Amino acid sequence: MSTDEWLHALAAELRRRGVEAGAVVAEAASHLRESGEPPLTVFGAPAAYADALVDSLRTPRPRSHGPVRLDVRGVTKSYGRRRVLTGVDLTVRAGEVAAIVGANGCGKSTLLRICAGLEAPDAGTVHRSGALGWCPQAGGTAEFLTPDEHFTLVGAGRGLARPAARDAGRRAAAGVDWDPAGAPQGRHLSGGTRQKLNLVLAGLGEPDLMLLDEPYQGFDHGSYLDFWAQVWDWRDAGRAVVVVTHLLAAADRVDTVLDLGGRA
Amino acid sequence: MDTDRRAQWLRGVIDLCVLGALRDGESYGYEIARRLEAAGLGPVPGGTLYPVLLRLEKTGHVTADWRAGAGGPARKYYRISPQGRQTLADAGADWRRFTAGAGALMTGVATP
Repeated sequence: MSTDEWLHALAAELRRRGVEAGAVVAEAASHLRESGEPPLTVFGAPAAYADALVDSLRTPRPRSHGPVRLDVRGVTKSYGRRRVLTGVDLTVRAGEVAAIVGANGCGKSTLLRICAGLEAPDAGTVHRSGALGWCPQAGGTAEFLTPDEHFTLVGAGRGLARPAARDAGRRAAAGVDWDPAGAPQGRHLSGGTRQKLNLVLAGLGEPDLMLLDEPYQGFDHGSYLDFWAQVWDWRDAGRAVVVVTHLLAAADRVDTVLDLGGRA
Repeated sequence: MDTDRRAQWLRGVIDLCVLGALRDGESYGYEIARRLEAAGLGPVPGGTLYPVLLRLEKTGHVTADWRAGAGGPARKYYRISPQGRQTLADAGADWRRFTAGAGALMTGVATP
């Protein structure tokens, strides 16, 4: 990798992480010019160096004082004799991101479905306020509709006229590195692209509470980073976001981590 | 020196070393790296140094501005701030106590 290629890659990685790249890249270029050393030796891989820079720019966030969008108290759920959730509490305010983590089979998706009102708990309460955006782990897209038709359909349910819904959908899609203009019907989309569609649909109409169940399955690494950048944008815009994830990469940036532990 | 161990030590104290390197005057990244190496800390890669400089700037321990060097390309010059000097004095004293204790343990010279 030449120095110019490395600098170019660094700029792209920084932009992808929402960091103004100009000054940092210029400083690295100046260092490389003077030292005459190869960039990989001095700075390492562009993505890793971008991560280190982002880490150093991070400041602890004060707690949000926005309205409570989701309040879960003492939720318990069993399937037959198998207890999946026991006395789970979770409060998420506007402008906060909560991560639900834990091993496969520990009840993360069940809890999210209960939060969304798709399943009833055996005990405990769930209160939601505001409009809800929902992104399931799979499914949720229609086989015989194109992405634009999805935007129109879901947008209509959230009070968006056809052109506004289509534009909002295409804009959000660009944020995860996807151009849905002229894309084929849902049944012809790859798994990763369907998940991008799901994610875009969840955000249409700017709902107050977003519930996302491992929405990045099938994403490449770049789109995965784009997804988290999207989450931070939603948070900054005052949304409440709940993400089910088994990856802890972003755990230090979220406001709340609910660890459901091992298999129930 | 064991380079893994050296890197670990450096991680805990590099911000203070950078402030120390700026104590007597402003400097820019590449030159700071050379000062640290000349002081015996070993080579400090840019991937380690610049995130530290960025954090020190963000927390107000240093100030920085871009200027053209003498006949050379533009460089980002860093200066230690009053807050940086205060941290250097306070944490520097803590560090000396810490290393004196560690040194005494390693050499077997007991301190009360």
